[in-house]
Amino acid sequence: MATVSATSLNFRPLTTSPPLGRMDQISRQASSVRMIGAACTKNITFPSLRTSRFQVSCMAKPDTVQKVCDIVRKQLALPAETELTPDSTFASLGADSLDTVEIVMGLEEEFGINVEDENSENITTIEDAADLIEKLVQLNSSHRI
Amino acid sequence: MGLSNGPRLSGMQKQVLALYRGFLRAAHSKSPEERHKIESFVSSEFRRNAKQIDRKNFQYIEYLLRLGKKQLEQLKNPDTIGLSSLTVNSSQTRRP
Repeated sequence: MATVSATSLNFRPLTTSPPLGRMDQISRQASSVRMIGAACTKNITFPSLRTSRFQVSCMAKPDTVQKVCDIVRKQLALPAETELTPDSTFASLGADSLDTVEIVMGLEEEFGINVEDENSENITTIEDAADLIEKLVQLNSSHRI
Repeated sequence: MGLSNGPRLSGMQKQVLALYRGFLRAAHSKSPEERHKIESFVSSEFRRNAKQIDRKNFQYIEYLLRLGKKQLEQLKNPDTIGLSSLTVNSSQTRRP
């Protein structure tokens, strides 16, 4: 138990530090969370740690964005020279609402998540999709801990 | 077709999209080969209807929604392997 509290003290300041090098923080944070999970027994919960993880999740990781771009490109059969940015709306890429449904289905399969109908209507850009995916993936993993 | 993304979809458009999603989900449970066939068929049917049918023809769209829901129920049945029965259905409703 002593080691557990020491570890949590260690990385709590990380979340309050300025957003420089945020990517690095996410990975470090994730690894320390895993460490705690391994070090302590199952019935100890860390509600405060979990909430801090959700706050960081507002910016999607580059590789998630990249994966989303790949799927969108494949689904819409976009030529390789088409530039995709996180702000690209699906509509601007020539997708209709049926295409959007297909994209969301493709993302669900790729990331092993389940996007609710209400949420999928709010996805209009690649960034929207990436943010939602990260949120759902984190929800999934926190359920598993 | 003019269907836009975002929260400005009408109730009926949402129903159509939910039905489409339902078909794609149901296709996941079939064999990879059948899944591909189902997906391309369902996709072409939805797109064809979206193009052909007047957006204000609510009665006909509602009829198609009911029809689609019934077909989806059939497809969801684990005993249903593929879509051949549905193809017969749709060729009856297709106009020359």
